[in-house]
Formats: sequence, C-alpha cells, structure tokens
Amino acid sequence: MRYLKRVVLIFLTASLLGGCGYNSLQMQEEAVFKAWADIEATLQRRGDLIPNLVETVKGYAKHEAQTLEAVINARAKASSVKLTPGDLSNGAAMEQFQAAQGGLSSALGKLMVVVERYPDLKANQNFLDLQTQLEGTENRINVARQRYNKAVEEFNGAIRKFPASLTNSILLHLERKEYFKADEAAKVTPQVKF
Amino acid sequence: MEARRRRILCLLFFLAILAASEAMALDVPKLTGRVNDYAAMLSPATRQQLETVLADFEGQESTQLAVLTIPSLEGAVLEEFSLQVAESWRLGQKGRDNGALLLIVKNDRKLRIEVGYGLEGKLTDLTSGRIIRDTIKTHFRKGDFDQGVSEGVSAMIAALRGEFQAEQAAAPSTSSSSGGDSGGLIGFVVIAFFFLARLVGRHPWIGGTIGAIFAPIIGLFLLNLGNMTNFMLIPAGFIAGFLASLLFGNMRFSSGWSIGSSGGFSSGGSASDFSGGGGDFGGGGSSGDW
Repeated sequence: MRYLKRVVLIFLTASLLGGCGYNSLQMQEEAVFKAWADIEATLQRRGDLIPNLVETVKGYAKHEAQTLEAVINARAKASSVKLTPGDLSNGAAMEQFQAAQGGLSSALGKLMVVVERYPDLKANQNFLDLQTQLEGTENRINVARQRYNKAVEEFNGAIRKFPASLTNSILLHLERKEYFKADEAAKVTPQVKF
Repeated sequence: MEARRRRILCLLFFLAILAASEAMALDVPKLTGRVNDYAAMLSPATRQQLETVLADFEGQESTQLAVLTIPSLEGAVLEEFSLQVAESWRLGQKGRDNGALLLIVKNDRKLRIEVGYGLEGKLTDLTSGRIIRDTIKTHFRKGDFDQGVSEGVSAMIAALRGEFQAEQAAAPSTSSSSGGDSGGLIGFVVIAFFFLARLVGRHPWIGGTIGAIFAPIIGLFLLNLGNMTNFMLIPAGFIAGFLASLLFGNMRFSSGWSIGSSGGFSSGGSASDFSGGGGDFGGGGSSGDW
C-alpha cells in the first residue's frame, strides 16, 4: 500500500511537471534569448558599416562635419551600452539600450537626408553600395525586432497562463521580458532646410 | 493597482500591434508556379522561358527562385509584404533555406529581391542591390519588363550558382521541432494517466482525496476565487475525483478519451507541381524603385 502511494506520487509529480510547462517555459525563454542575439547581430552589422560610410561621405561633403560627428558619437554611445540576457527583464536597462540605438538611427537618418544635397556623392558607386547595405541592415533590424517581440509576447503570455504560471512561481521564477519598441524618433523623417 | 495598470498598458501595446498588422491587410497571393505574374507584366514566351530556367536551376542545385508581380501594394510596406510572401510560400529547402523571391509591384514602381537565410552568403544585400540597380532598373525604365526580369533572374542565378548541389537536398535535417517534443510529453502523460487510473480505480478514496486537494488549488490560481468559494471546492473536488477514479478504474485501457495533440504541421499543397520546400527568411535582400 505504501509502495503504491509512492508510485502514484512519483507519476503525479512527473506528469504535472511535464504538463505544467516546466520544459516549455524554458524553451520559450531560450527562444527569447536567441531572438535577442539576432537583434544584437544585426545592430552590430549596422555599427560595422558606419566607419566606411563616414569616410566615403567625408570625401564629398566637407561642410557636413557636424552631421558626421553626430553619427560617430552616436555609434560610440550605441556600442558602449551592452545588455546581458538577464537585462532583458530590466526595464530601465532596456530603455537605455533602445535610446542609444535610437540615437544612432536618427543620426544616420539625418545624414542620409543631408547627402541628398551632393549629387556627386549620390552617383558614387561606393556610396551607393554602402547605402544598399545600410538599407538592408535596417530591414534586418526590423525583422529581428518583430521576431523578438513575438517571442517575448509568447513567453510573457506563457508565464502568466495556468498551469505554467504555477510552475513558474514555485519552481522556475522566470521574469517577464521587455519588448524592443520601434524607435519613434527614427521614424520621423528629419527636415532639412536649404 | 500597479499590476493592473501594467496589464492595461500591455493590452494597449498589443492592440497597437494588431492595428498595425490590420493596416496592411494585403493578402498573400497564391503560389501558382515559379513565375506568378499577377500584374500581367510579362509576355507568355518570357514566362515560359523563365519557368524552364528556374526549374532547371532547382533541378541542378535545389535552390528555389520565384518571381511575383502584383499590381499594387495597396498601402502596405514593400519589405513587410515581401517577407510575408516569402514566409508563406516557404521557398527553399527545409534546413538549407535556399530560396529567393523577386517581387515587382507594377503601379508603385517598386521591386525587391528577398533572400533566404541560406543564400545570404552569395546573394548578399549588396549583390541584390546591384542586380536591381544595374540590371533590372535600366530595362524597367525603358518599359522593357520582359528583358528586365529575364536578365535579373539570370544575374541572380549567376550569383548563386555553385552554392548548393541538388543531391545534398535528399538528406533531411533531423527535425527536433517542439511538435515531436510535446507529442512525447502527451504520450507520457497519457500513460501516466492510465496507470494512475488503474491504481486509483481500485481505491476511489484516493481519487477523491486528489480531487479535494487539487480543486481548491486550481480555484486559487486560475480563477482567483475567494476563500469561501475555495472552501466549497474541496467537497466538489472530492466527489469529482471519487467518481472519475471509479469510472476510469472500470474503463481500464479501453477509454474513449482522446487527447488532441496540437501543432500538427499541415503543408498547404498548391494545385501546381511547384511548392516551397520549407525555407526560412530573415529580411535579407534589397529593395529598389524605377
């Protein structure tokens, strides 16, 4: 009889753990981390393009030292703010990271508008290539961000749904993750007066 | 109070996402072949020739390329729509992700080459950008869509040639999808369930006790019920558990219960002989206009 009860208990615990999201919650958190790594990779890719871009523009647009300076500073700032996976649950750290990357986006946006004034530069093959790569990278950032937000949505939902919420509050203690919001400042096309 | 406010904010955020996705309600067109000329930009001869070239290329290297022309984006964003099409058509082989899409929007005068993960090394953003800029655009500006698309596709093939061999495609990647995982779990739970039913079936009092313990727990965490209601769940759970264990004990293994496994993968096969192989896309490629 005692043996029987023990067997019942073991099976109950095992099936409850399996059925209550012990595994799936951790898989979903891992998916969030992976999606975040993709965002970081694309942001890194953008950062790597900038020195080349700045050099190319410098050759044609000598009067735009200020705009170029802003891009260089924004890049330095963006690459100095780092996040660990644990920070994904930290709203303040996340906001700081997004602000730094948003700053770089808007500085780049301004540069791309200023460039319109230099037809020679716009005809330069090297510049066109860089522009293509930059656009491609911005698109990848967008895609990576959307996928990250989707992973976060699924994870945050999962840790609040019963019975996984119970498993989480008793055993796992996983925290909800912050979204990576689209940068509002970067969306607005900067105005340039001629 | 704080938690409630956060919840409302969260909801608003989701609604915003929903509204944004609603704004671009342009449907993904049906995949009818390698060349999907919905905007009627190509001559029948060109279409036929492209189909042959693309089919040959897939036969040699397993890489799937497709062309789509549509009349208008109807306000949707080119890059988002393009990715949407690529994700729903799933061009390229599963695990190799070697698919690419050439999308042309006639009235918006925009085009994009969307590149799958596996082809990003050869058909980089830069290469696709150059194909658009130097090859396709020059012909499109003159109104010669046939020539533009043909040369564009040839340039894409030239960039990709040698990246994959068709024979390798036969080796399927070991799919460790979550579907199989959850299937195993469900199986385990079912076995545990019947084992339990058998054991408990002879002892309905144990079943009743289990019910009495779990009913208020569920009430507490899932339904946020008050103490009084929870208290009343104890006898209710006891009766339910008692009856259930009696029933399942008698039923043994010929139970009529079916536990539906979710997440079944259904590949929507199109009428034509061409369909995407399950490739993934990550926003690689390049856009342009003419």
